[in-house]
Amino acid sequence: MVLNRRDAAVIHFDNVTKAYPTQNRPALQHVNVAIEKGEFLFLVGPSGSGKSTFLRLVLKEERPSQGHVHVAGKDLSRLSNWKVPHLRRRIGCVFQDFRLLPNKNVFENVAFALEVIGKPRRFIGKVVPEVIDLVGLEGKAHRMPDELSGGEQQRVAIARAFVNRPMILLADEPTGNIDPATSIGIMKVLDRINRTGTTVVMATHDAAIVDAFRKRVVELEDGRVVRDQSRGVYGQAY
Amino acid sequence: MRAQFVFQEIWIGLRRNLTMTISLVITVAIAMALFGTGLLIRSQVDSSKSYWYDRIEVSVFLCAKTSSTPSCSRRDVTDQQKQVIEGQLKKLPQVAGVEYENKEQAFKRFKERFSGSPGFVESTQQGDIPDSYRIKLKNPEQYEEVAKVARSLGGVDQVINEREILKRFFNILNGLQGAALLIALIQVIAAVLLVGNTVRLSAFNRRRETGIMRLVGASNTYIQMPFILEGAIAGLIGGLFASVLLIFSKKLLIDRLAGNVEMVSQLGWSTVVYVIIVSICFGVLLCAAASFLTLRRYLRI
Repeated sequence: MVLNRRDAAVIHFDNVTKAYPTQNRPALQHVNVAIEKGEFLFLVGPSGSGKSTFLRLVLKEERPSQGHVHVAGKDLSRLSNWKVPHLRRRIGCVFQDFRLLPNKNVFENVAFALEVIGKPRRFIGKVVPEVIDLVGLEGKAHRMPDELSGGEQQRVAIARAFVNRPMILLADEPTGNIDPATSIGIMKVLDRINRTGTTVVMATHDAAIVDAFRKRVVELEDGRVVRDQSRGVYGQAY
Repeated sequence: MRAQFVFQEIWIGLRRNLTMTISLVITVAIAMALFGTGLLIRSQVDSSKSYWYDRIEVSVFLCAKTSSTPSCSRRDVTDQQKQVIEGQLKKLPQVAGVEYENKEQAFKRFKERFSGSPGFVESTQQGDIPDSYRIKLKNPEQYEEVAKVARSLGGVDQVINEREILKRFFNILNGLQGAALLIALIQVIAAVLLVGNTVRLSAFNRRRETGIMRLVGASNTYIQMPFILEGAIAGLIGGLFASVLLIFSKKLLIDRLAGNVEMVSQLGWSTVVYVIIVSICFGVLLCAAASFLTLRRYLRI
């Protein structure tokens, strides 16, 4: 049963410990988590609990000090460096600070993600408007980032992360800079993307959102998994 | 698509760092011009060396009334002495051939050789150059033994090895070449450091773009290419300026030198074109390689 679940896992942390040389305490300690295809998972915990390290390990921006990280059935420690870009093409990323290019408009920002992986212009012309519509930015393709609200900028970032139809979407506090009302809109977009079969892993502080959505919750504290609960809430369940 | 995108990025990069790019272009231009000048001088030296060394002779000047050498005692060489000298020289194993040259022939040859400097020729009269035996050596290195024998013979005024005279001239050229290459080397170091700084600035200016490129899975080549091409294009522009400078240095330096000392084998334009191509390629490769190496430090992949 456990084995089957791991086989189906799109992200699998197998006893992962990550220690940074400059820190005494490891950022992650003996983490075992399996995330299945199509799941929506909240990664919660206070700052410094290891949420970002978890996401960076999935992207192979960091290597585990111990244990193995498997993504899409592949052990990342066996993935050669030149194949890392191909891994990242299958993973979309969204951040708290949006990370848009200020000198490019909405369309160009989204198209950038495809241009730099060498997709043909015709393909870009077709899929970019579709994704812009999907995230709810119809008619705003030619706006510059500074003409958009925070919520809209985050939608652009989500569109850019999703435009190449990744298998996994990682979101690191995507609602951290956005007011609660707008956050609901962002969550709806992430939910919509999740419904297309994309696995979504969202690191967050936002208790209200976690409580409202009732998805699987993995709680980290000092680098350890202290709770893994399906249909969980932010705080400790009683 | 790809190409257009890459070139757009390069253009943005070069424009953002305009002052750095300009200083890089200037440095590369000077470095490559000096490097090319060094090559030009070298090929000039090589071609004239082989021309001259083929014709090189040891001249045994004979005594004349006008000579101030004590052993001549202000007397012309006698026919008997001449015969002894010729006989002795011809017997030497190092000697390939001996030719007599009288004052008229010597003056004629002098006029030919220095036809490039008419003032010098005018100040010289027939008879100023004494009779001589011109000795062709089997091996120009064996000059000393022949000279020793010739000096010991009566009626001999001076023994002059043309090779020694030429050597001095070639030494000057070699010195020029060395100086040009040395300054070129210093400039090359400056260029490499400048490329490093330009790339670092460029990488810093474009950290958002490269960060996103990394994140969405752009390949390393794709991320690095704009930076490397930026360096290469700066190198190319520098190389083009250098080639203009090289054409000047051929016209002003080499041709003038050759005019003064009748170099016979003048440096052809084909050599200049060859040197220009080598310099441009060197400049482009240098900048591209320097970009590539600095990228590894400043651009996380």
